[in-house]
Amino acid sequence: MRKLLSGNEAIAQGAREAGVLFASAYPGTPSTEILETIARQGGIRVQWAPNEKVAYEVAAGVALGGGRALVSMKHVGVNVAADPLFSSSYSGVNGGLVLVSADDPGMHSSQNEQDNRHLARAAKIPVLEPSDSQEARDFTRLAFEISEQLDTPVMLRVTTRICHSMSPVVVEEDQEDPEPIRRYRRDMSKNVLLPAHARRRHTAVERRLLRLVQLGESARELNRVEWGDRRIGIVTSGVAYQYVREVAPDASVLKLGLTYPLPSELVREFAAGVEALYVVEELDPFLEGEIRSLGLSAVGKEVFPVTGELDPDRVAAGLGVARIRPSIAPPDPGLPLRPPVLCAGCGHRAAFYTLAKMGLVVTGDIGCYTLGTLPPLLAMDTCMCMGASVGMAQGMEIALREAKDERRVVAVIGDSTFVHSGITGLINLVYNGGTGTVLILDNGTTAMTGHQDHPGTGVTASGEKTHRLDFAALCRAIGVRRVREMDPYDLDRLESALNEELAADEPSVIICRAPCRLVERTPLGQPAEMEIDCPGCGACLELGCPAIDERDGRSVIDPTVCTGCGLCAQICPFCGLKVDSIRREPVPV
Amino acid sequence: MRSIYLTGVGGHGVLTLSGILAEAALTSGFDVRKSEIHGMSQRGGSVVSQVRYGNRVRSPVILAGTADVVISLELLEGLRALPQLKPDGVLLINEQRITPAPVGRERAPYPEGVRGICENAVDTVVIVPALEMARGLGNEKAANVVMAGAFSAFAPEIPIEAWVRTIEAAFRPEHRDLNLNAFRAGQCFVEAE
Repeated sequence: MRKLLSGNEAIAQGAREAGVLFASAYPGTPSTEILETIARQGGIRVQWAPNEKVAYEVAAGVALGGGRALVSMKHVGVNVAADPLFSSSYSGVNGGLVLVSADDPGMHSSQNEQDNRHLARAAKIPVLEPSDSQEARDFTRLAFEISEQLDTPVMLRVTTRICHSMSPVVVEEDQEDPEPIRRYRRDMSKNVLLPAHARRRHTAVERRLLRLVQLGESARELNRVEWGDRRIGIVTSGVAYQYVREVAPDASVLKLGLTYPLPSELVREFAAGVEALYVVEELDPFLEGEIRSLGLSAVGKEVFPVTGELDPDRVAAGLGVARIRPSIAPPDPGLPLRPPVLCAGCGHRAAFYTLAKMGLVVTGDIGCYTLGTLPPLLAMDTCMCMGASVGMAQGMEIALREAKDERRVVAVIGDSTFVHSGITGLINLVYNGGTGTVLILDNGTTAMTGHQDHPGTGVTASGEKTHRLDFAALCRAIGVRRVREMDPYDLDRLESALNEELAADEPSVIICRAPCRLVERTPLGQPAEMEIDCPGCGACLELGCPAIDERDGRSVIDPTVCTGCGLCAQICPFCGLKVDSIRREPVPV
Repeated sequence: MRSIYLTGVGGHGVLTLSGILAEAALTSGFDVRKSEIHGMSQRGGSVVSQVRYGNRVRSPVILAGTADVVISLELLEGLRALPQLKPDGVLLINEQRITPAPVGRERAPYPEGVRGICENAVDTVVIVPALEMARGLGNEKAANVVMAGAFSAFAPEIPIEAWVRTIEAAFRPEHRDLNLNAFRAGQCFVEAE
């Protein structure tokens, strides 16, 4: 049976066919739908983990216990999971352990475009790179076999174009019986990485790499030569293979599915059979470097870009086979852009409007609220990585105080991100005598990636009720005495709360509770109404609200979009905007 | 091989439309690739999806200037997508205007005369009042399926039965008739033009 599946759905399908016992993940574009699909199709135990490190550790425990485990994350998540990843490479597995690293060339939704093949090489584990959904499904199954046969975690490295592109997949209709759980046997020499044990394991890991090279030389389902015109030979992997085939259908191609370790004999043989050797790969010259280290000369990143995604045009240009084609002139470059914006009624808007108005230095974090950086709010100074806001605020304060700089610093972090890696930063703030203020924007979901649950929502990945993490109690337990929970929509109260907490000579946390408007769809109030002849001062436009438009120099409210949050009514200097509030119960302070 | 570039605004059904198109092509026996970028684009931003089908398809992405058809669910986004189209391609636009969210006081004005600009650039432009047509059928949300119907008139290689089967499978029973009617309305609109 042929089904149209995205790469992520195909990985989920492959996991099911491989009889996987357990899957864990932290949401992150472009990887999120892998666990969502696995949860939806049933049959596999699923968990949203608080972060990628924990996801990996639980999966490693399942594998050691004898079950097959899949753990998926976006590329930067692998940085978080790197510690257990590198050590589990030494320990090996029992049941198969597959790590899906979803890289994001082009940074469609990421802060960098790191190439995680480097991490796999550093951890000395094999890398499989599928080039479409069929291979995503096939390689997932193969990855579990390789993991068990060679006693290694395996990285399945995909990219946004693989994750979010759909192509036909031949699937097995009947669900296979779960792979039998392998018996767990205590083996301290493998699993307790004392230096004496780890030294022996390192030798075993190096031997394993040699066996993996042999596997790559012979496994035709992974690495294959497609002979064609021998004047050009192209080594390629992942979606770049499709681009190569599109623009150079007659060329000879060495298509690598197992890209680390490199099958050196196969590469030598291929190179010897062609006149000019090219390497076409997205992002870093990873294969190119490995191939050059064999003493072979190849054309690579001098003609193909190292930044951004490849596409057929870029590949054709590098190969020198580009053709000029007639084209339609682009329209006026002055077309209004349509960037993503905070939704109408989003509680984050209240927070960022206030922070911008107060002129605070804002160390930000990763989530929908990063949109507070964009005009007109322009309210964020930094966004580095998950959880960094809390630590960076403390560091900024140390430097600014030393410089006698009067500017005040506040950390802003979302609920899911706080659980991911903000908690340890807060512990540091208290432990090391910081006096900073942390604003937790709690919208009750992991919003940006599409509304996944997390420990603060009290619901699991399979939809079951569970203990709900109490942020206020947690902050108090950490040692923060000044903790308040409030409704951010009351702008004056929010501003005075910030002023009070920033003035306090001890750490403080303000938890702003405002459920995501895409989850809590009940309106906050009646749509705002313009009760005067708007003089067009533009104050309400500074909110960047999609419900407020400017027409002929006046502000106009779109009642179909407005949620009645009341922010515009609070800031209109002419008191011309009215909101009939039917707001929810006030949150106790 | 046919390359279809689809565009619109987040939350208005671009991805549902490209899904219907891709499934209908698969049902008709073609090899299919569908590509899209979501993530940041879900928050009211521009959304783009690409569908390619034929006997053998390689790249999931369409080269700029080679799309056979551009389908836009919004006027401005249709204009923005013009350079994706090959000069003798077909441009199908839903005649709906969605003003981009304000980004402060300095905002480029919404372009006027989109129809004229498009007609000057491309031979075949069909502007479909899909929103009104869908509203007339009982639900604005079916505007994307009206556009699927409009496209079907330019895609004789996909038989009507494939469209009907795909639409029936894509929606819950209570919405099937609405969407089948929307599809037919879009198809008739183009045939009448």
